[in-house]
Amino acid sequence: MIASKSLVSVVDDDQSVREALPDMLRQFGFAVQVFSSAEGFLASGYIGQTRCLLLDVAMPGMSGPDLQEELRRRRQPIPIVFITADTDATLRPRLMEDGAVECLFKPFSHTALREAVRAALGQN
Amino acid sequence: MEHDLSRVVDALPGLVWTALPDGRTDYLNQRWCDYTGLTLSQACDFGWYAAIHPDDLEGLLATWRASVASGQPGEAEARLRRHDGVCRWFRFSTAPLLDADGRATKWVGINTEIEDRKQAEEQLRVSEHRFRSIIDGLPANLMLMTPEGVFADGNRQMMEYFGTPFEELRALPVDAKIHPDDRPELMRRWGHSIATGEDCDTEARFLRADGEYHWFRTLGVPLREDDGRIAMWHLLQMNIDDRKQAEVLLAGEKLVLEMVATGQPMAGILDALCGLVEDTISGGYCSIVLIDAHAARLKHGAAPSLPKSFITSIVGRPVTVESGPCAMAVHDGRQVIAPDLSKEARWADDWLPMAMAHGLRSCWSIPIPACPGRVLGAIAIYYDQPKTPTAADQAVIEQIVHIASIAIERAQSDAALKRSEAFLAETRRLSSTGGLSKRMSTGEITWSDEIYRMFEFEPGVPVTLDLIMTRVHPDDAFTFKDMLDAQQLGNDYIHEYRLLMPDGATKYLYVVASAGRDQDGELEYIAAVQDVTPRRLSEEALTKARSELARVARVSSLGALTASIAHEVNQPLSGIITNADTCMMMLDADPPDVRGARETVRRTIRDGNRAAEVIARLRALFTNKDAQLETMDLSAVAREVIALAMSELQRNHVVVRYEFANDLPSVTGDRVQLQQVILNLLLNASDAMSGIDDRPRQIVVRTERDAGDAVRLSVEDAGAGFGPDVADRLFDAFYTTKTGGMGIGLSVSRSIIASHRGRLWAIPNDGPGATFSFSIPPRPKGAVDAGRQGVTATPAASDPGRSFSNSVSKR
Repeated sequence: MIASKSLVSVVDDDQSVREALPDMLRQFGFAVQVFSSAEGFLASGYIGQTRCLLLDVAMPGMSGPDLQEELRRRRQPIPIVFITADTDATLRPRLMEDGAVECLFKPFSHTALREAVRAALGQN
Repeated sequence: MEHDLSRVVDALPGLVWTALPDGRTDYLNQRWCDYTGLTLSQACDFGWYAAIHPDDLEGLLATWRASVASGQPGEAEARLRRHDGVCRWFRFSTAPLLDADGRATKWVGINTEIEDRKQAEEQLRVSEHRFRSIIDGLPANLMLMTPEGVFADGNRQMMEYFGTPFEELRALPVDAKIHPDDRPELMRRWGHSIATGEDCDTEARFLRADGEYHWFRTLGVPLREDDGRIAMWHLLQMNIDDRKQAEVLLAGEKLVLEMVATGQPMAGILDALCGLVEDTISGGYCSIVLIDAHAARLKHGAAPSLPKSFITSIVGRPVTVESGPCAMAVHDGRQVIAPDLSKEARWADDWLPMAMAHGLRSCWSIPIPACPGRVLGAIAIYYDQPKTPTAADQAVIEQIVHIASIAIERAQSDAALKRSEAFLAETRRLSSTGGLSKRMSTGEITWSDEIYRMFEFEPGVPVTLDLIMTRVHPDDAFTFKDMLDAQQLGNDYIHEYRLLMPDGATKYLYVVASAGRDQDGELEYIAAVQDVTPRRLSEEALTKARSELARVARVSSLGALTASIAHEVNQPLSGIITNADTCMMMLDADPPDVRGARETVRRTIRDGNRAAEVIARLRALFTNKDAQLETMDLSAVAREVIALAMSELQRNHVVVRYEFANDLPSVTGDRVQLQQVILNLLLNASDAMSGIDDRPRQIVVRTERDAGDAVRLSVEDAGAGFGPDVADRLFDAFYTTKTGGMGIGLSVSRSIIASHRGRLWAIPNDGPGATFSFSIPPRPKGAVDAGRQGVTATPAASDPGRSFSNSVSKR
């Protein structure tokens, strides 16, 4: 029996992203859960199973960095790959400095995604 | 024979005697002696003298001597004393007794008693005398005229009046003393009476001895003989000057007051007043002066009989004692009488020589009073001879001044009223304003002509609510009825509504209504109604222009949004690429997952369209402008914006209330951008209430101090509000709940506020609606680079923890 697939959780308020990413991640062989908000993820019960978090930066309510801070506070650190539609180049170094595995600027290629997720899962 | 004769003589029923030519009696019959109580011897010779009344003796003897001298029979009357001492009148008749030679050697006399006749005569004489005294004492002229109408006699009063000796008067033509104006009518009537014998009753002026004419009523009555022929005409003349003067005065008063009542020009009224004075007080010239608005100088009123040079030298004189009698009368408020200008000492410098040069010799100036303490002007009466007003003159003057006061005051207030009415009418015409009144108790509505024109109804059509409602724009019917309900409260109000005319045109009416009480104490509205259609139409054009400008301004703020826009474009792009990648993977799989691939392609197409939409909107918005920094009072900025948006808000029937905090710290930023934010919030709030008709569409704009000297501005509406699901997306760049809107407003606003280092958030109200607020610090950090800040700074620049939050609180 193959080890159960690693769970990648996607938190993004953009519907396109929530629809497109899971199919791709499944193609990569991951299990996927999607959430439209940070609050929804925190309340979901998938925190413990999630091996990688694909996290949008700017969202209504709790933002991506807010959720990162919250998980840190709960001592439930999850490797985080930020995804953002912003174009500010100074964003990535700051997020990486704060402990993110990667910061992907939308739109990103499937290879960039796979590498980032794998990096998060410590597979490369 | 002698004896017999003597007996006969004694028996005669008379007192008989004979006397010698020298008057000595030699015979007196027995009856004589019996009557007088004298004996024959006592009475003989001159003894009979004792029986004659001493007053009559001389006359009697004179007649006797004349009779003796002429030798003719004589007759005289004298009183004879009776034996008891009573004197009675007798006629003494004598005749000569002739001797053979025809000489009168002796005279025979007979005395017959005439006492009764004498007494009757005396009575007649006394009565005639008394009658004459009465006639002469009559306070009227009495004339006797012959049946042919010729003057025969007159009483003393009449003779004194005409002052012409009797004979001269008789020689004059009968109409000589009649005023020429009255002569034809009087002579016609008099001629008629003479011809017919009918009574005559006329009024005419007759010339008095002093050269003045006076009015008389002349009554002519014929005195007829027994056979009916006219023996004499009695003409009685009564002076009716007072009545005539009163009539003239009354007629003049009536004329003047009619002129006042019919609104004749003041100049004509004053001319008529002067004419009245001259008609009433004969021989004088009248002028009226008024005073100017400051009561400082004399103003011309009227002077129909005075030369222009005289008038011009009075007009403009200051109201002082020295200026002249009229100025003095006005100044002192008292009559100034100068009875003889040749002896006058006042006004010697100027007025007096001028008046004398015009031939005037006396002047009476009487002030015309108005309400207590005020003088309207003065009436002056001039004569070309010295003259002091009589009591009668004063009575006339008093009455004329009274009329003048009424006439001038009415004319002046009429003129003022006319001016103010004309002014009002012109103002109403210029401002397209009409007036209406409404009695709340009866619902009775009265319109001015202007309102009829606005509503395009025939003037005079009875105004009813139903009639009005046929014109009220259907969209405004609800608020119009609200206004009607509000009238019951009796408060003043301002209302604006539209009319939909039969031709489809829309009119905008602006109503300012004031509540009051009519004379019965009932609630009554008086309202000014203005047709503001042209203004509103230009405002609509302005609003269009303004929304264009607002769009441009929005676009100019877009620089601040580059990141946000890129974000919006990148989202669908990201979806497209991910889906396409996934599709490739699915098709490359063995077997290919065609169903999955089809789904990813569907999503790709959708995201592609979404991206295209974003681009299309961007094209419409794209332009750029630098931000300008300044320090400002946020309340003042808000007030400007509210003023700017007021017409738009009112058009949506939105009421704005401010609650501005005092002593707010000033803020630094781009005024236009901040105004744009406030405008956005206001218009959003207004739009959010567009469907609300069951409660007031009210916006409350507040400014207050936040922590750290930040200033907060909130816009609270009573609209539909928003649910938590919407709250998530309110600030998304292209999110909108409005079908026609761009939805860029809140997103732009958030960016602008963020560039001011502030934040913008929204919360649903406890009641209906929502409150959008922003808070900005007093002075942004790094303000040095502020010129480009709005363009380059992104919300994430310095404080990601906060700036990334949409700050939509989900209470």
